[in-house]
Amino acid sequence: MDSLYFDFTLRRRSFAVELALELGEGAFALVGPSGAGKTTVLRALAGLLRPDEGRIALGHKVWFDSAQKADVPPERRSVGLVFQDYALFPHLTVAENVAYSGRGGVAELLDAFGITALAGERPLDLSGGERQRVALARALARDPDVLLLDEPLSALDAHTHAHVRGELREILEGLSLPTLVVTHDFEDAAALTERVGVMVDGKLVQTGTAAELLAEPSTPFVAEFTGGNLIPGDARLTSDGLTEVVLDDGARLLSTDAGEGRVGLVVYPWEIAVGRTAPLDSTQNHVQGAIASLVPVGNRVRVRVGPLTAEITGASAERLGLRTGDVVVASFKASGTRLVPLA
Amino acid sequence: MKRPFDVFLAVAAGLMLAFLLLPLLALFLRVPPGTLLSQLGSDVARDALLVSLKTSAIAHAFILGIGTPAAYLLATRRFPGRDLLVTLTELPLVLPPAVAGIALLAAFGRAGLLGGTLETAGITIPFTQAAVVLAVIFVASPFYVRLGIAAFESVDQSFLEASRTLGASSRRTFLRVALPLAAGELSAGSALAFARGLGEFGATIMFAGSLQGRTQTLPLAIYAELDLNFDVALAVGAFLVLVSISVLLAVKFLPSWTRFTSTSLFAGAPSRSS
Amino acid sequence: MYAAASLTEVFQAIDPNAAFNFAGSDDLATQIKENAPADVYAAASPKYPEELFKAGLVEKPQVFATNRLVLIVPTSNPAGIESVADLGRKGVKLVIGAEGVPIGDYTRKVLENMGATNVLTNVVSQEDDVKGVVGKVALGEADAGFVYVTDVKPVAAKVRAIELPDSAQARVEYEIAVVKATDHRGAAQEFVDRVLGKDGRRALLKAGFGLP
Repeated sequence: MDSLYFDFTLRRRSFAVELALELGEGAFALVGPSGAGKTTVLRALAGLLRPDEGRIALGHKVWFDSAQKADVPPERRSVGLVFQDYALFPHLTVAENVAYSGRGGVAELLDAFGITALAGERPLDLSGGERQRVALARALARDPDVLLLDEPLSALDAHTHAHVRGELREILEGLSLPTLVVTHDFEDAAALTERVGVMVDGKLVQTGTAAELLAEPSTPFVAEFTGGNLIPGDARLTSDGLTEVVLDDGARLLSTDAGEGRVGLVVYPWEIAVGRTAPLDSTQNHVQGAIASLVPVGNRVRVRVGPLTAEITGASAERLGLRTGDVVVASFKASGTRLVPLA
Repeated sequence: MKRPFDVFLAVAAGLMLAFLLLPLLALFLRVPPGTLLSQLGSDVARDALLVSLKTSAIAHAFILGIGTPAAYLLATRRFPGRDLLVTLTELPLVLPPAVAGIALLAAFGRAGLLGGTLETAGITIPFTQAAVVLAVIFVASPFYVRLGIAAFESVDQSFLEASRTLGASSRRTFLRVALPLAAGELSAGSALAFARGLGEFGATIMFAGSLQGRTQTLPLAIYAELDLNFDVALAVGAFLVLVSISVLLAVKFLPSWTRFTSTSLFAGAPSRSS
Repeated sequence: MYAAASLTEVFQAIDPNAAFNFAGSDDLATQIKENAPADVYAAASPKYPEELFKAGLVEKPQVFATNRLVLIVPTSNPAGIESVADLGRKGVKLVIGAEGVPIGDYTRKVLENMGATNVLTNVVSQEDDVKGVVGKVALGEADAGFVYVTDVKPVAAKVRAIELPDSAQARVEYEIAVVKATDHRGAAQEFVDRVLGKDGRRALLKAGFGLP
C-alpha cells in the first residue's frame, strides 16, 4: 500500500492554499471553517483542480508535478472521491451507480454496505444515510489507492448524523487506504479519524490527534474551533506555582498551565460544573453570573453564564431547576484549563 | 374579488393566446378536411413534401451530429474567446433569411469565396438539394446549439466530475452521463430547430432557387401556388401547421425519465428515516 | 401603388413620392382580391387586370406600355451562351419566371414561338417575379435568364443582353387601373393620368418600354 505525498500551492481569490502532507495508512481529517480551502485540497488531489506549483505522488506514480509539467487527469488517478452531495447519477439505479467504474465486484460491495436490497432503486428514492453508503460503495468499487471524503456527514439531518457517523467510522477502520476526510465539524473529525489537521486560510495551523488538539491547542483559533471557551486576560506566575490570569473585568482565575503576558484561558464546556452556589471542594475557579441562555443539545444542555459556555447533563439542569436569568456559579478546576498565547 | 393586477394578467394571457390561435383556426376553417386531403395528393404537394422531408432529415442529422458536441464543448469548457464564439453561433438568428441566402451564395456560390475551389472539385451547390440542406442547417442550427448549451449547462458539474473520478474518460462521461441527463432539453431544442428548418423560405429561395421536385420545399410550394391554386397553397399550409404541432407535442410528452436535469433533488434534501 | 416588378425603376422616376409595392403581377392580384389597401394596380400582362375588372375590383384597365423579352447572361458568360439554342446544352443553368407570373408565361410563349421548349429541361429555378430572375443572373449564379429588355439597364454592368427575333416575341402589354376600394380616388386617378400622359410616356420610352 503506497502513501500519498503532496506538497503544493494553489492560489485562490483571497488566499493561497499551501499544504504539504503525507497520507499513510489510516484516515486523516482536514478540518477548518468553511472557505478555508479544504475542499480545494481534495479537488486538487483528485485531479479536478490544478495547483500552481508543487507535486502530488502516490508512491512512485507521479500525479502532478509542476516542474516536469506532469498532470494526470482524474480518470487515471486511482482515487475514490465521495462528494458532499454524493452526486449519485440520477438516471441510473443503485447497482448501476456502483458498477459505473466497471471493475466488477458489485454484489460483494452492495452486501458489505448492506444495500443489496436497494440495488434496483433510484437515488432519488433513498434516504440520506442510504445515499452515503451507495456513494461510498461506488467510490470503493473502483478499487482506489486513495479515498477522499468531502464533508461526508453534512448532508444528513441531525437524527441520522450520529448513527451514520458510527457506521462510517467502522468502515474507515476496516479499510487500509490512505484516506482524507474533509469536515468543518471537529467532533466528526475526532470521531472518524486518528489524525486531525486544522486548516485556516489555506494553511495548516496544527496537526495531531484529536486529543492533542483538544489538550494543547497551539492557537486561539484551534482552541475555539475544538469547542473550548477562550477567555482573554493577563497572566503572571504566582508563588505557589500556579498561573494567575486577571481577566479584563478584574476577575481572577487560576490555571496549572504556564503562561505569561497576554493569554487566552481555555476551558472546555464539559469541564465546567454549574450550581446555585460555589461547591465546597478544591475547585479553584468560580464565575458567578446570570444565565444568558439554556440550549438543549441531545441529552445535554449548554448553559451560557457570563463569558463561559458550560455543558451539563439534562438531568442536572432539571434537578437544579435552571431558568434563564437565574444567578448561578460556574466552577472549574485550575487543572482543567490551558493557556494559549494571544497576539 | 380578484385583484385588478390578476385580472390584467388573465386578459393579457387570453389576448396572446387568441391572437396566436385565431389565424391557425381560420386556416383550417377555410379548407374543408376533404379538400385538404385531396389537394395534398396533388403533384405539387407531394413533390414538395418529399423535398422538404428529405432535406430536413439530412439537415437535422447534421445539426444533431455536429451541434451536440459543439454545444457540449461550449457549455463545459472555458477558454479565451468562448463568449464570442457563443455569440457568433447566435448570429444567424438575427439575420433576415434573405440576407442569409445572399451570404450563403457569397460563400458557396459560383462567384463566391469557395466557388472556385468547389468548381475544380466538380461540386456545384446553388440550385441543388444540397443548397436547401445548407440553407436549413444555417438557419436552424442556432436554435439547437443555443438550447443545447443551456441543456448541458444545467447538468450539475459534480456529476461530470464524479464520472471522471470513477475512471471514465471525457468521452465516456459525455456519452454515459452528460447526454442522458441533458436529453430532455436537447430534444426540445431539436424539435424547435426541426420546425424552424421545415419552415425556412427566404434563404432557400435565394440560395437554392425554386424548382418543383428538386428544390421546392413546402413553404416555397405554398408561395408558388398562392396565385395559381389557392386551395393547394392552403392545404400545404395547413399540413405544415399540423406537422409543427405534432413535433411540439411529441417533445412535450417524451417519457419523464429523460428529464433528469437538476441535482437539487439531492443537495441538502431531508433524508427519510432509514 | 401596386405595380409589376419590371416597373420598379420607371414608376419611381415618374413619381418619386408615391408609396409603391413592387412584386409579381399575380401576387399583387391575389393581394387585391384579399382587400389589400391598393390605390392603383399596374400589371405586366392584361390577364390579371381583366380578371379583377370582371370581379368588379378595379375600374376599366388601360394599356399604357409594351415591352419585349431578352435573354440575359452574366458578363462573364460562364456557360458561353450566344443564342437561345445554346440554352439546350447539357448542364446550363437557366432561370425563368414561374407559371402564372407574367414573365414566366411570356417566356414559355417565346420559347414556343421559337420551337425551343426543349431548353426548359435546363431550368433550375422558377422565380416569383422578374427581379428574382435578374438577381440570379446578375449575381453570376445562373448561366442565363429571360427578362424584359427594360430590366437590363439597372444591372447593365453585371449582365449582357442577347436579343430575340421579333417574330418570336410575345405580345407584352402593360395595363393600369384604379382600384375601386381606394380611399384616395383623387390621387389614384391623378397617378393613372400621369402615367398615360406626356410625362409618363416620356419616362417609359426613356426606360426602354414601348408605347401602345
